[in-house]
Amino acid sequence: MVDAVPQQRVQSQLPNRIVDGILAIMKVLGIMLLFILVTALVITFFLYFVTLDNAWLLIPASFSFFGLMLLIVYFAKIPIGYNLRNLTVRYRTTLLTSVAFILVTGVLTGLMGFINGLKRLAQATGNPANVIVLSQGSTEEAVSNLAFESMGDIAQQEGVERRNDEPLCSRESYLVLSLPIAEPVPGSPTRRLLQVRGLFDPVASAQVHDFDLLPGGEWFSAAGVRPDADPNKPPLVEVVLGQGIARQLAGDRSAAARAQARNPEQLEVGDTIPLDTRELVVTGIMKTEGTTFDSEVWSKQSVIGPLLGKSNYTTLVLRATDAQQAQKLEDFFMGKDKDFKYEKTQVNAFTETNYYKSQSQTSVQLLIGTILVATVMGFGGVMGVMNTMFAAISQRVKDIGMLRLLGFSRWRILVSFLTESLLIALLGGLIGCVLGYMCNGLQATSIIGGGAGPGGKAVVFRVVVDWGVLGIGLTLSMLMGFVGGLIPALSAMRFKPLEALRG
Amino acid sequence: MTSKPIVRVSHVSRYFKRGAERVNVLNDLDLDVPEGQFLALMGPSGSGKTTLLNLIAGLDTPSEGEIWVGDRCVSTMNESQLARWRNEHVGFVFQFYHLLPVLSAFENVELPLLLLPLSARKRREQVMTALELVGLNDRNSHLPSQLSGGQQQRVGIARAIVTDPTLIVADEPTGDLDAKSAHEILDLLGTLQRSLNKTILMVTHDLRAARRADRIQHLDKGRLVDQPDEELYEAG
Amino acid sequence: MKFMMLIFKNLRRNLVRSMLTSAGVMVLVFVITLIWSILGFLDMATSEKSANFKGIVTEKWSIPSQLPFSYANTLENGAAREESDVKPMDSMTWQFFIGSVDKTNIGFSTFIFAFCMEPKKLLTMMDELDSLQPGPKAELDKAIKAMEANRQGIIVGQKRLAAIEKKVGDRIKVFGINYRDLELECEIVGTFPPGRYDNNTCINRDYLNASLDAYKASKGKPHPLAEKTLNLVWVKVPTKDSFTKMSGQIDNSPMFAAPPVKIETASSGVSNFLAAYKDLLMILRYLLAPAIIITLTVVISNAISISVRERRKEMAVLKVIGFQPNQIIFLVLGEAILLGVVAGAISSIGTYYFVNRVIGGIPFQIAFFSSFPVLDGALWWGAAIGFITSFAGSILPALSTRSIKVVDVFSKVA
Repeated sequence: MVDAVPQQRVQSQLPNRIVDGILAIMKVLGIMLLFILVTALVITFFLYFVTLDNAWLLIPASFSFFGLMLLIVYFAKIPIGYNLRNLTVRYRTTLLTSVAFILVTGVLTGLMGFINGLKRLAQATGNPANVIVLSQGSTEEAVSNLAFESMGDIAQQEGVERRNDEPLCSRESYLVLSLPIAEPVPGSPTRRLLQVRGLFDPVASAQVHDFDLLPGGEWFSAAGVRPDADPNKPPLVEVVLGQGIARQLAGDRSAAARAQARNPEQLEVGDTIPLDTRELVVTGIMKTEGTTFDSEVWSKQSVIGPLLGKSNYTTLVLRATDAQQAQKLEDFFMGKDKDFKYEKTQVNAFTETNYYKSQSQTSVQLLIGTILVATVMGFGGVMGVMNTMFAAISQRVKDIGMLRLLGFSRWRILVSFLTESLLIALLGGLIGCVLGYMCNGLQATSIIGGGAGPGGKAVVFRVVVDWGVLGIGLTLSMLMGFVGGLIPALSAMRFKPLEALRG
Repeated sequence: MTSKPIVRVSHVSRYFKRGAERVNVLNDLDLDVPEGQFLALMGPSGSGKTTLLNLIAGLDTPSEGEIWVGDRCVSTMNESQLARWRNEHVGFVFQFYHLLPVLSAFENVELPLLLLPLSARKRREQVMTALELVGLNDRNSHLPSQLSGGQQQRVGIARAIVTDPTLIVADEPTGDLDAKSAHEILDLLGTLQRSLNKTILMVTHDLRAARRADRIQHLDKGRLVDQPDEELYEAG
Repeated sequence: MKFMMLIFKNLRRNLVRSMLTSAGVMVLVFVITLIWSILGFLDMATSEKSANFKGIVTEKWSIPSQLPFSYANTLENGAAREESDVKPMDSMTWQFFIGSVDKTNIGFSTFIFAFCMEPKKLLTMMDELDSLQPGPKAELDKAIKAMEANRQGIIVGQKRLAAIEKKVGDRIKVFGINYRDLELECEIVGTFPPGRYDNNTCINRDYLNASLDAYKASKGKPHPLAEKTLNLVWVKVPTKDSFTKMSGQIDNSPMFAAPPVKIETASSGVSNFLAAYKDLLMILRYLLAPAIIITLTVVISNAISISVRERRKEMAVLKVIGFQPNQIIFLVLGEAILLGVVAGAISSIGTYYFVNRVIGGIPFQIAFFSSFPVLDGALWWGAAIGFITSFAGSILPALSTRSIKVVDVFSKVA
């Protein structure tokens, strides 16, 4: 039996040189690859941080990075079981360290989900074939003021789709109504800021914006009002609600009204909303989920305008024949082309897609805040994992010395310890992603708008934790593990075997 | 046994700088060890015996002189060459065993083999052979903490012989063991030397341990000495 | 004292770990200080005051509120008609003028957001400006005098001034955005103290109103917004009662039929505007801040557990030479708390001075607030957070030292 052993050595000597060569190349390649990968990861990370569009790619990227590390560990020959068992033996430290990763990843994915939801909302709202026209200098509907006379001519321009020989357009007056809440909870707001859109012609507006009503509802009548059951009272003002605001207004009612309501969760067709001496009656609910219109109340401008003291129009939405035409119209009204521009009045015009994109400025600010917070929390996590790894190393100095004595070279030690911190990062990152994913679909409110002042629109939306958001969370976690593990691992690599064994 | 030396130490000096002062640990030392010999190195503390052992085992390089082991000149190798050479040619046995606490006996013995291009099956065979030689093949899945000191040292020895090294170096292998276990370990080393024709270099304080060797070499103040003061060891 | 020295030496022994841990504490405390300052400031703005109420009168239904300027006089008197009616202690009218210093290019570097008001009210009615230190107060007063002497004089916040690349003394032309076709020719006569009004501008209301008259004279018809120039009226009353009474006077006044008006306390007005930010603020308050504090606790706990584990043998020696278990617990707790408190205090106090003195506030846009001061509480927050988190993080590792047995001294692997 023992005789077989020396033979084995003779056999092993020749291929050993080749293996050495391969290992040397692997070593250089590995370091280069690592370097490239880390740089690429950091860059893609921040690129995708902002756009979120292809961030799901970060998931395969993180896993392949981890896979690559495992591959290098395989070549480093220090069994991965050695790391796993050390992690389980010191399970308390492992758990404590991963808690930091869980929290950072969880919070980050939750916040990113919030921002992603806002962004999705702004993206989903615009119809690329629609052009939104505001008065000159206005970037927000709330401050726009369009003369009614000029709207007719604007709509007659070439490129606007026609139906029955009339241009397809929607004349709208956007205003914010401050509606008292029936029984405000002490300490919380006493009024709800309600976004009201007064329409000149609801049918045309519905066509331009392409919203259907939920079954059972109808658009308002030509008069925009209907008589109250009690003939001594003024007629009811007809309104159509977005789904989100229908839910929110249901919660604003007094406890008594809620108890009597057919649906305590959402206003239904036929329900009324008190407004000073008048009452609004719901004639329909629009399928607006996932758009900013979800938070709007639509009514007839000729009725609601005088009631609220806003007689002017703010917005003209044109339906172009297609998206290309819409872009041309934007350029035409904005005077981007010197030879081909609208001369009669000066207006601001944007395709709806562009308009709502500009409205997501708020999310940029949130994004910056989130990046700051994530970076700082990440830094805390890195400090934590560094402590853990430094301690792991000082506890295992003799292990390292022994391994070095047995012929395990420096880079193998480096890889082994680096992988250990990446394991903690992966564990924490995955759990954090699960926590973050639990926020997916939560309903939230926020503001979108160009920035300064109270001009933004309050919107209702859902938190969207998708693969992209999870990818960002996971990547941040892995980066923290890498950065936090690298420096201790480098120090572990430097031990001289004999000194290490002496302790 | 052949008379051709497997270890040849010629004109080796090793000194350290301590400030401006030069501390000589080994002075122009010559030593030949024939293949298959069990050599015990003895000497008082600071005599340089561990330094000599480290030099021969490729853990340290001499300030002057040459060391040959087999047909390789150890003293001129660089660090990574030494690491590879140690892996294949030297087996280490330590006073405190130095097993990795989270790995089982089997895995500890397997460690040096991982660096060699062997199949898993082949590795397993060799590990089992080594464990069988030290009489622990029924303990292969135990963690070091589940083994007695003597057993741990046997695992250490199994790890030292698993690569079939040219040379086994043992630094106070019985220093941390009770008399009975120490006896067993020395028996084991003797058996390995005779049956596998291994060359063993052992550093020890313990004269009883040293007497189990083929030859005892004494060191004092960095030189080999022929007539040791026996009393010194009896007292220690 | 010897004990403190021992704690101190222990911290110095593993300098790398102490530094890593304090760095972690500092950055995390920094973020909490920012978050708590923003939340605390908003809380102050929305909490009802018991005296010296500020009330806001606005259009009843519509936002933005646009009232005819003819309402101004009556509202400044709290719509008091009879001797027994309550009159405000002080009042202020706001007309917003949104404009640009460049007619064609409207953007961050040209944008002007101005309150048009009586200049002297800056010192009596505006939040923060009504409680300035003597130095900045005298300076602002000088600018106000200049505005009163020359009604085209304006005061511009320091950041805005930098953004439009102008300085005090320059003359600028501001093209109206909300007031279309209205151009104001202004002279910058001063600037606001750094902080809340960094991005705002103040214009003398007489100048805006005169410009609107001039518009009517030259075009032959009034400006389209001529009857909607008054946006807000602020009134100050001494007590809750007088506020309620005045609110009745305004509601019942026949003066304000079209459009109708409402009065609300400043705090409730602000909180209505903040309603849309409710979820965001909830996230800050109940998710982010606690998550950071827990992270902090975990980081400290980790560091201390590691220290304790490494020093078990040493602690056994201490026990052998007569240290009480409680003294050893105190040693561990003391080490953690010293580190936490010192690092936390340095961080939050540093944040306080750096953000308030150097940056001039936390730049974060929420509703009409664009910059938040770090609150005075920050001076003790850091130490408190450091104390609580380090105590919470180290109590378990500290208690675990009780299990150290004296016999451990003689075992090789402690």
